Amino acid sequence: MPDRALRVRNPLPVVAVVVIGLLLAACGGGAASSATPTINLYIYPDGSGAVQQAIDTCNAASGGRYQISYQTLPTGADGQRQQLVRRLAAHDSSMDVLALDVTWAPEFAQAGWILEWTGANQTQATTGTLQGPLATATYNGKLYAAPFNSNTQLLWYRSDLVPTPPTTWAEMINMSTALAQQGKPHYIEIQGNQYEGITVWFNSLLASAGGSVLTPDGSAPSLGAPAITALTTMQQLATSVAADPSLSVQMENDNRLAMESGTAAFELNYPFVYPSMKADKPDLFQNFKWAPWPAVTAGQPAHVTIGGINLAVSAYSKHSDLAFEAALCLRNRDNQLVGAIKGGVPPSLSDLYTDPTLIAAYPFAAEIQASLATAAVRPLTPAYQNLSIAISHAVSPPSSINPQSAESTMASELKDALASKGLVP
Amino acid sequence: MTAVLDDPVERTSPAPPAKAAKLSAGARAERRLGWLLCAPAVLIMLAVTAYPIGYALYLSVQRYDLRFPSEAKFVGLSNYGAVLSSPYWWDAFENTMIIAVVSVAIELVLGMALAIVMHRTIFGRGLVRTSILIPYGIVTVVGAFSWQYAWTPGTGYLSGLLGGAVPLTDRWQAIAVIILAEVWKTTPFMALLLLAGLALVSEDLQKAAKVDGASGWQRFRYVTLPLMKPAILVALLFRSLDAFRIFDNIFVLTSGGHNTGSVSILGYDNLFTALNLGIGSAISVLIFICVAVIGLLFIKGFGAAAPGSDLRD
Amino acid sequence: MAVTARQKAGWATANTVVVALALVPVLWILSLSFKDPTTIGDGSFWPKQWTLQNYRGIFKTSEFTRALVNSIGIALISTFVAVLFASMAAYAVARLRFPGKNVLIGMSLLIAMFPAISLVTPLFNIERTLGLFDTWAGLIIPYVTFGLPLAIYTLSAFFREIPWELEKAAKMDGASPFQAFTKVIAPLAAPGMFTTAILVFILCWNDFLFAISLTSTTRARTVPAAIGFFTGDSQFTAPTGSIAAASVIITIPIIVFVLLFQRKIVAGLTSGAVKG
Repeated sequence: MPDRALRVRNPLPVVAVVVIGLLLAACGGGAASSATPTINLYIYPDGSGAVQQAIDTCNAASGGRYQISYQTLPTGADGQRQQLVRRLAAHDSSMDVLALDVTWAPEFAQAGWILEWTGANQTQATTGTLQGPLATATYNGKLYAAPFNSNTQLLWYRSDLVPTPPTTWAEMINMSTALAQQGKPHYIEIQGNQYEGITVWFNSLLASAGGSVLTPDGSAPSLGAPAITALTTMQQLATSVAADPSLSVQMENDNRLAMESGTAAFELNYPFVYPSMKADKPDLFQNFKWAPWPAVTAGQPAHVTIGGINLAVSAYSKHSDLAFEAALCLRNRDNQLVGAIKGGVPPSLSDLYTDPTLIAAYPFAAEIQASLATAAVRPLTPAYQNLSIAISHAVSPPSSINPQSAESTMASELKDALASKGLVP
Repeated sequence: MTAVLDDPVERTSPAPPAKAAKLSAGARAERRLGWLLCAPAVLIMLAVTAYPIGYALYLSVQRYDLRFPSEAKFVGLSNYGAVLSSPYWWDAFENTMIIAVVSVAIELVLGMALAIVMHRTIFGRGLVRTSILIPYGIVTVVGAFSWQYAWTPGTGYLSGLLGGAVPLTDRWQAIAVIILAEVWKTTPFMALLLLAGLALVSEDLQKAAKVDGASGWQRFRYVTLPLMKPAILVALLFRSLDAFRIFDNIFVLTSGGHNTGSVSILGYDNLFTALNLGIGSAISVLIFICVAVIGLLFIKGFGAAAPGSDLRD
Repeated sequence: MAVTARQKAGWATANTVVVALALVPVLWILSLSFKDPTTIGDGSFWPKQWTLQNYRGIFKTSEFTRALVNSIGIALISTFVAVLFASMAAYAVARLRFPGKNVLIGMSLLIAMFPAISLVTPLFNIERTLGLFDTWAGLIIPYVTFGLPLAIYTLSAFFREIPWELEKAAKMDGASPFQAFTKVIAPLAAPGMFTTAILVFILCWNDFLFAISLTSTTRARTVPAAIGFFTGDSQFTAPTGSIAAASVIITIPIIVFVLLFQRKIVAGLTSGAVKG
């Protein structure tokens, strides 16, 4: 019987052709242009157009020596970090300038992924820059990034409900309780979800109470009595009538929405709420005022944790000199002003805060500058991610905090985290 | 191609003693054909996964923190020891088992009901079947967003249902919400596979049972269900393998916060957030072992047949 | 057998319940996509203020459209290749005798079972070295690989149930081998193929982890990953409206796909070759 089984064509050549075809299609990616070097800027997506404008300005000013290309990262900080880490760990040479969140510089520096800023570059990056942002870009005494923009929280309140703003947390909670008894809107809006935001809240309270998360050399947890004070404050607020019922799931945006809905009297949040209130609720906006962050101890001003973005140069970049230059251009005075006004992100250069153009868009410029000058930073350690998770888990939900046990749990978890021992939850 | 299939009957009876040691030309050709047909699938699966799986196994016996790359070193099984002695692993394991068992059980019952509706509904067939399949076709993270917004106080329409509490921050309420999201999403998958099994139950048997006086429920229990056993087992097998590795829904709904994380979320956190490649890979291997045990349980224990395994070699 | 009014009412109720439960979350996303951004937080199911702003927003740049095109193209190609390879392997597993069959099944199950989170980074490294990173092929190849186990298993199960003797019977009745295949076997195999195709398509469509890890620009980024790039009005504003609008848009192809194929699948599954 003829072996008609072999009428079936051998599938292997077909498969090989398909695979090779796919590979060829993939390799069709553009050849590297040898004319003008491209500096790839990896940064968050900016809907306001401020970043693009900065890029265009710098490209024009480069005199043909380089062209910056806008490569978007995901919107969320975690997504950005993942993308950057994955590619840096693979020594990807197509990344040049990286936009880092303020907590990442020590981690990236320790791993050898970003270059140190020295000499003239260092001088240019540090001159005129506010102390707080600069601290976040420094690790082991070396500068690893140039501060780009910054951010800090203020106390926002409704002047129709609160004639004079409170100066301490205890005072604020009392005011809120009084308002509640009168049946008026009284919530204190703050970020209580189990994420980075609650770590920021705890860090600010801790610094304002005179303590810090780690010892100065970053090798061991410090916590102690100030931490107990901070934890007690959080627990008191969360269990008082001042707490929004959704406190334990709230993030910055939820606080903004609650304030705009009229149920809240106080809000601890970033300046983005100001233009938003103006646009969304013009009637409430009439009475929408700001004040510095409340202190923990009367007479000792608060230290608010700063946020923001720093620009670093990848250690695997093929054009590191040009990358430094591009980064310095992107964060120069003019571009930071554009970023502040168009993009809504406070600048990191101190003299911009006395610029009339900025003050026109930021009536609260003075308060922000003051806050940035006395800012608290989150622990500057490569193990920061682990620390943050340990902290946010220990203080969440805020209503169930037992200050003594939370402090000791935190201390032991932080010790493990610093040694990168054990699992993170 | 048809030459080798001329005699299906002969295949199932024992080979006559005359064709002892040597394979006939026909059997050899059949073998070659079998390998050739399997080749593309095997090649691509091997090429893509051999190195990654091998690398993951290799990493799991290293102490390798990506932030301290120079300190990487071989540590044997100590990563596994660290994972298995960590309360976080056992919490995550407990969550995973609860979510997997409960959601698969509900999906089986609901999926059966849906399969029957799809099979027997007398009008509106197209609409019903399309509606049933849509939840499965929606991108998982989108479905999860839908549930998250629905349960967020203020924004959502379901948030008032549980008396003003915040469901997503209470461990058991959040787990219930996660199970709901999982069930909504994957019941169609079960329903589809069960429908295939349901359709193979012969009408004649049903009619015969009816003639013998069996009620609808009895017909279902004694005629339909036993005949559907292979389909049920395959559906359960695949669904359980996936349920144990649940990730997307939990990630969007709670990010694993408030002790609602599954083992996959634990692996993700340790691998991508803490950049601890050694521990993260050890967790992955442990997840794999658990899933393999589940698979073996179904195949050996309940007899979920690997298709074609009854054909003698 | 006449259908009683009671039976009709019973099925009507069953149908309504099923459709409602399946579609309420979908309608919720639909409603969110039409809500004016200032009223997103108002907690009502239907919008009090209807607007097309969210839809206009996502189509303002070509990013989302590119992501849609990528998603559809990559999913279709992956499905086609996966079903093709799986059919060949499933046919062999269900119909032929050869050693190593259990090894194949075992290997596919192993691949289906291994957590994808730890495979992502090595895959990323391989693809970067081969130049496949951020390309269609870079996603198609993993999707085919991870779709194969499910496809092989499902198709083997289907193929085993097909009465292949019918082909022989048809030929004895005078049909040519080609006629026997297309008129007898193919219709019996079709429901299984379509079912498998839908399952694989949805697997590719749904994937988030590989999409976010193996792409970096709009060249290959698919919709689930693209959603992670949506921005709100400011740094902290969640782009709820945009996400909802994007979700509605990406559900439409699925609805179309399902509508077209559900008839073929279910009709084929329920006709059954063994009856009569």
